[in-house]
Amino acid sequence: MSNKDHSQIISRDIQFAERATTRIWQETASEDNPYIAAGCRCHGYDLQELMHKRSFVEVFYLLFRGELPSGSEAELLEHLMIALINPGPRHPATRAAINTAVGKTDPAHILPIGMMVLSGEHLGGIEVEASMRFIRKRLRDDPQCVAGELLESERPPAEGDWHIAPGFGNRFGGIDIMPGKIAAQLAQLPGSGKALAWGEAFARALQPHDMGWLTSGIAAAAFCDLGFQPRAAAGLLQILSAPGLLAHGLEYANKPITALPRISDEDYHIGKK
Amino acid sequence: MAKSDTKYWERRRGKIFNRKGGWKVGQGVYCHGYEIMTDLVGNISYVQMMMLNITGTLPSRKVADCVEAIYVTMSWPEPRIWCNHIGALSGTAKTGVVGATTAGVLAADSTMYGSRPLLESVTFIKKALEDYQSGKSIQEIVDEQIKLHQGKVQIVGFARPLVRGDERVAAVQKTMAAHNIEIGPHLDLAYKIADHLRNRHGEDININGFSAAFLSDVGLSKEQIYSLAAMCVVSGVTACYLEEYDKPAESFLPLRCEDIDYQGPPPREVPDP
Repeated sequence: MSNKDHSQIISRDIQFAERATTRIWQETASEDNPYIAAGCRCHGYDLQELMHKRSFVEVFYLLFRGELPSGSEAELLEHLMIALINPGPRHPATRAAINTAVGKTDPAHILPIGMMVLSGEHLGGIEVEASMRFIRKRLRDDPQCVAGELLESERPPAEGDWHIAPGFGNRFGGIDIMPGKIAAQLAQLPGSGKALAWGEAFARALQPHDMGWLTSGIAAAAFCDLGFQPRAAAGLLQILSAPGLLAHGLEYANKPITALPRISDEDYHIGKK
Repeated sequence: MAKSDTKYWERRRGKIFNRKGGWKVGQGVYCHGYEIMTDLVGNISYVQMMMLNITGTLPSRKVADCVEAIYVTMSWPEPRIWCNHIGALSGTAKTGVVGATTAGVLAADSTMYGSRPLLESVTFIKKALEDYQSGKSIQEIVDEQIKLHQGKVQIVGFARPLVRGDERVAAVQKTMAAHNIEIGPHLDLAYKIADHLRNRHGEDININGFSAAFLSDVGLSKEQIYSLAAMCVVSGVTACYLEEYDKPAESFLPLRCEDIDYQGPPPREVPDP
């Protein structure tokens, strides 16, 4: 094998770590086998003691934030987890999970496929992250003024919905009602903070223009109030919505392909927008 | 509240409008005006088909062969490359081959390597060509980029994470020369920038910068180029998966408990709720 074309390839001589590190999880080796863990700790807490004393929601928060939540933080997170538990059977991510299942794909793929589709810029992970950055950046500004400024500077698309800011806008041409109701409920909780309150005021300012909260915005505001970082947003949304994606998919895993409608050739138009 | 305008969605309810093509049962399977079974099978390569599906235009075989050469350079059976590492880990965990390969491809949607840097790279070379044709010198174009990166010579398409130089460029250049493909203005400028960087800073063009410039000369947009590269690492991932799948589980880089350096809080008692 000739390597004459490779003579100009020069290693940068970068120093890599000797070992991987973590601040999250400690595994203590058994005395007999260094590959077998005899004990596990999460941020210093023994896993079995956590199982005995704490709820799933509390340990979930601990895993990402490094400390156990207060009672009000745990309550807000639990309410949010219920609110986001199912994007619903019309969401493209859920439909992808259903389509995967009815197509007799390995059931192990239902959830990853649904979660991948839930990663997008429209009501998905990318939008939640962008919404967190938007809320954090504008949190000190008057929501009414921000709405006015955006209504002045931004233009709606020629067709389809307008997300005037990530996490806020319209859906199918109107205000999405359920996110508004959920946000109002979350904002009443003692654990809710400045982000949910700001979002409520911003959504109110958009209301005369047929826009308001989107599900992605609620997730973003609650994540802000719970102290999560924007880079965690997409994954957190995927985890919290995973039960619904999987449940809807599994509902179709044993059904024949005829259990879903199929668009007829007459309704399939080639070469048209 | 006024009734929402839902005309846009009503027109699409229960109907598919598709600009690219589709299957009309008993008539044919259409792709941008071609009938796949009679017009395309046996007459075009798979890469030509990929490009037709993405761009709507059937490229020449010569251009498609160069794109295929780029694909060949991106498929290394080398598990230390991040996406291939995912393939190897999937193999050692006995994941299915499709899940493993898909996971590796998804990993290559990275801002550091794989397909996503092409978006930035194409933006750079297209803007650089505009600037160059407007009279800006190579040095000015390069210096602007260095300033943009706080003094670091990190122009996307002209640096690699681990090494300086890129053996893949010369390999694809051979295919181009064999097909008598002329060097277009984007690639010509990319070579000039590479010469400047090599002489002044020790950096050189990489396969990303080369592909961005070459495919810009072909007339593709940045989104089309990114789409074309979506699966560019696929074969190497599968190779790394299969290498480990054939071995006993967890034989790929097994870790003792002590191989993870725990740096979190010391053991602590779980407080009662």
